[in-house]
Amino acid sequence: MPAPAKIDPITRSVVQHRLSSIVKEMGEAMLRTSYSQILNSSRDFSLAICDISGRLIAQADHIPVHVGALPWATLAVEARFKDVAPGDVILLNDPYQGGSHLPDLTAFVPVFDGGKRLLWTIVRAHQSDIGGATHGAYNPGATEIYQEGIRIPPIKLYEAGKPREDLLDLLALNIRNPREFRGDLAAMLGAAHLGERRVAKLFSEFGAETVEAAIEAILDATEQQTRAVVSSWKDGVFYGEALLDDDGHGRTDVKIAAKVTKNGSDIEVDLTGSDPQSTSFVNSSHANMQAAVAMAFAYLIDADIPKNTGALRPLKVVARQGTIVWADPGRPVTLCTSHPSNEIVEAIIKAMSASCPDRVMGGWGRRFRIAIQGEDPRNGRNFIWHMFQARPGGGASIGGDGYCSIGEWHTVGGLKFGSIEVAEVRFPLHFRQHEFRPDSGGDGQHRGGLGVALDMVLETQKPAKGNTAGDGARHGPCGMLGGRDGEPHHYRLLSEGRAPRVLKTKEVGIELRPGDCLEIRSSGGGGWGPPEKRSAEARARDVAQGLVSKAV
Amino acid sequence: MYTIGVDVGGTYTDLVATDQTGRTVFAKSPSTPADQSVGVMAGLEELARRLGVTRAAMLAATDRLVHGTTVATNALLERKGAKVALLTTEGHRDVVEMREGLKPDRYDLRTPPPEPLVPRERRFGVRERLKADGSAAIALDATALGKVIAEVKRSGANSVAVCFLHAYLNPAHELAAVERLAKELPEVSVSRSSDVLPQIKEYERVSTTIVNAYVEPTVRHYLTNLERSLHEAGFKGSLFVVLSHGGMAPVEEASRLAAGTVLSGPAGGISGSRRCAEMLGIPDLVPFDMGGTSTDISLIADGQASLSADGMLAGQRIALRSLDIASIAAGGGSIASVDGSRTLRVGPESAGSVPGPACYGNGGTAAAVTDANVVLGYLDAAAFMGGARPLDRAASEAAVDRIAKALELSRIEAAAGIYKMINLKMADGIRLMTLRRGVDPRKFALLSFGGAAGMHAAEVARELEIKRIIVPTVASVLSAWGMLTSDLRYEVSRTHYGTGRISADEVRALFAALEEQAAGRLRDWFKGDIAIERSAEMRYGEQVFEIDVPLGDLDLNAADLVAQIEERFHCRHEELYTYASRGQEVVFVNARVAAVGKIARGSDDAGEATSAAPCAPRGKRQAWLGAWREVPVYALDDLKPGHSLAGPAIIEAETTTVLVDDGDRVTVNPLGWLDITLR
Repeated sequence: MPAPAKIDPITRSVVQHRLSSIVKEMGEAMLRTSYSQILNSSRDFSLAICDISGRLIAQADHIPVHVGALPWATLAVEARFKDVAPGDVILLNDPYQGGSHLPDLTAFVPVFDGGKRLLWTIVRAHQSDIGGATHGAYNPGATEIYQEGIRIPPIKLYEAGKPREDLLDLLALNIRNPREFRGDLAAMLGAAHLGERRVAKLFSEFGAETVEAAIEAILDATEQQTRAVVSSWKDGVFYGEALLDDDGHGRTDVKIAAKVTKNGSDIEVDLTGSDPQSTSFVNSSHANMQAAVAMAFAYLIDADIPKNTGALRPLKVVARQGTIVWADPGRPVTLCTSHPSNEIVEAIIKAMSASCPDRVMGGWGRRFRIAIQGEDPRNGRNFIWHMFQARPGGGASIGGDGYCSIGEWHTVGGLKFGSIEVAEVRFPLHFRQHEFRPDSGGDGQHRGGLGVALDMVLETQKPAKGNTAGDGARHGPCGMLGGRDGEPHHYRLLSEGRAPRVLKTKEVGIELRPGDCLEIRSSGGGGWGPPEKRSAEARARDVAQGLVSKAV
Repeated sequence: MYTIGVDVGGTYTDLVATDQTGRTVFAKSPSTPADQSVGVMAGLEELARRLGVTRAAMLAATDRLVHGTTVATNALLERKGAKVALLTTEGHRDVVEMREGLKPDRYDLRTPPPEPLVPRERRFGVRERLKADGSAAIALDATALGKVIAEVKRSGANSVAVCFLHAYLNPAHELAAVERLAKELPEVSVSRSSDVLPQIKEYERVSTTIVNAYVEPTVRHYLTNLERSLHEAGFKGSLFVVLSHGGMAPVEEASRLAAGTVLSGPAGGISGSRRCAEMLGIPDLVPFDMGGTSTDISLIADGQASLSADGMLAGQRIALRSLDIASIAAGGGSIASVDGSRTLRVGPESAGSVPGPACYGNGGTAAAVTDANVVLGYLDAAAFMGGARPLDRAASEAAVDRIAKALELSRIEAAAGIYKMINLKMADGIRLMTLRRGVDPRKFALLSFGGAAGMHAAEVARELEIKRIIVPTVASVLSAWGMLTSDLRYEVSRTHYGTGRISADEVRALFAALEEQAAGRLRDWFKGDIAIERSAEMRYGEQVFEIDVPLGDLDLNAADLVAQIEERFHCRHEELYTYASRGQEVVFVNARVAAVGKIARGSDDAGEATSAAPCAPRGKRQAWLGAWREVPVYALDDLKPGHSLAGPAIIEAETTTVLVDDGDRVTVNPLGWLDITLR
């Protein structure tokens, strides 16, 4: 079929639809074939199609913090390899060469039309282990990236269809659970190859030139749609700040500052006022900082605007290397996809509350993860239990009150926590209480969602060890436009014969004794709008439902 | 003696009767949503008229009436169910509202959470707690229970769901609570989780039990009334209700497990599809049922429909096993719009039946898919519903013109675009339905039924590289027809508890108990032969999704029973997901048993072999097939076994139209059905 000079809107719609169904199909394949729980249950992976100039063409809605990061990964691949052949597969994870943090492994498969390379199908997936000093990559003690895991620059894992077994062995040797790693990697490559096959079919059906022309038209149309939204917001220069509790290495109130200049349909986010980088894993890599800004922007525009490069064209990001949002090479960064990503979002949303109050939302929860390692007395086996999701409340918005127990800013209801019954069967744990945490949602015209009150008893016969990673035990999710902050996280260790101990968000080697109770009180979401505007009916209902303990 | 199938749809109630000679008669009658039984009784009147007897005579000579109902479905969709209270373990009353931390639509942060079916003030914690091995950590506190029951009474609830943690393993606390409820609140309905879904995973169990409590009073009331009306009208046979899993059950059982009737309607379509597969000798079909507001897609592979427990309806999780049906919001009423980026969208909004597409002339002005079909010449505006309800062509043109203007296209280009987009959506639905299960749709034939399917089937098939389409003569009443062949079915399941590998004796004990329970229950309703189907849900050690593995002909007395079961799991895993991990631990999670009472099938004999005379079109009209073409129009009634014709052609029947494109070939098979081969 000859390429038309100007693509008609029907062809554009068809190609757009087809590309988005290709990434969805890649996601289905990934979900069903991956080995590890973090992928097949929590779905911590993302799929995308980028072109060779690093533009994001289509993506599936999985983990928002991946949205804006993949173009930078693509650019790193393009910079490294000029000689990509059909059948090649490229892999990377290094945060200083296109990655976000080490556990996120990214695979690229090129799509050719005839001899011409046009697109990449991309799969990014969070590995349950990536080597380094602690199991599962989150190491609050790390002071340099080498303690966080194995670094993989862009490498060719396959050359012209042939796997480099020696490289695969090298990687598997550096990872604690090589069998699971190989299984997950096979699933990633399978999904990327499936995408490649589908895109190739699209080329053969319409002709690559038509598809390319359609892609230009898709990006232009998305840009136009986004600009129309942004234009409706108030112009001006706006400021917002968010504070990390601490970096775990002695610094508290680490500041992320956003200056947002909104002019017509253009928007510039300047993060140069943020604090200097840290010695700990709370630093952000450059790509992750870009992704966090894109995530904040995505939350403000319409939900149904395709999240491609066209949608991000009105957005310009300014930042300075050496700050907490963009660390110097070699710094540890593992926590960055959650923190400071959440605080980057918070600072931008706060700034924008003066520009588009109808679109901003109260703060969503921060992350506070616990991992417990011990021995199950019922079978003598070692176990590792992760609390993937702290079950914090979501922020309120113009639409209404926030979701309860829904998750963090960077996952917004995309990360599942498992069944209590299954957990009790599989782990020596007893969940005494697991209910909404009254009074935790930030007050406001619309109230923030509630966090959770979770009391969990350790039923081992031998002591166990715990690690934490996260933030938000001092700073609760922010209130917006007069709404109050949600209650911060508050976790305590209750141990007979010892005084209750408040847990910090970045601890290693917590000693847990049989019968100890972890008293988890996760944060509520931020409120929206002034509390005095909350209706009497809504307040009466809050009390009747026990979400608020007493009438205000 | 007659057997009657009755399928109540959103717009029409379809009825089918067969007698022992195999003679089959159809009738259609408007549905009556306020009380579906009114439409059913009226439809029976019409059916009797077509049989040439009185309704009373027909009913007196009917041994079995099989009914597909949307009463439960509508109660859920329209939120018109019971006022439910929940009794659950103290400290755990929010499980149903937590939804395991998930929400739909990742980038939509401004839509508030949905209202749960049971608001928090009617969710009561009872002091009791079982441990993971079924032993009591805290005994059921009788005083606390008494107080809670008093609160339930004060709340005005008329239906109660009881769901305690780990009750799938030990129902003692639930049973004690139910007994007390029955004594103190005898007028209130009770649904018990260890009865509704005795399986591990509290969110799924509590949600399913709540849905059951929510729809039970409505379903019971409706079915009891219908049964009475039928008996008053002279019916002496048995009334059976089609369940979501495709089997059928008597009124009492369908009421007890009312949550299991939410797919009662489309389940008949699958039974019908399965029967089509048998009659055609084509084991692999994609049933494609396109109606006004939605399209139901399912899968018949190797002659069987697949079951799944992933069900969700109206935002509520229902984890009962049901036929795997993907319902997509796309149909003849789907509305076309142009968004802010000048992109054409079709659906998910639908014009419904009121006001309906612009051409219905009921005040609708938005361009619906049906309007595009009118503009394209596929639908004959004058002959719609056999001429009983002519369409307003000018209104369709005006509606499509608004889309064309927004896109700066011609009318015909816009209409063709709408047609193309809706086809893509439906193809997507099939792609997910097939590829998600590792099935390649290209090996399947598309079974086209439902009023709107015929105009889209060929293009949808082409999109998926499917080469063959079957249009049965019963296309527009396939669900009701399918109900005549539903089997009786009673399913039970139980979770295996244990941390180590299951033993052969444990497997035998589990299945023996389940078989006794299932067959015992079925024997109360059914005197014929009972077949037992066994399956096991298993997973690898660290996985979270179980796979249901049929155990079919497995010898339970085999010495290496567990190894055989595990090997079947490995094979199934490999089949579905391309690999097996034979070195890894296999966890046996649930044992499942279905007792099946097989219903004798009617005669499937084909009609007379071939017709010698060529078939002639009844007329011609202009239709858009990339360009305006003069296309011959055939009447389906004129096409006899042995006839064949080449596209382009339009084939019309009273309630459906089939579009055949250039290069596609139609043959009429010995059953009188259309068998279309795509170019």
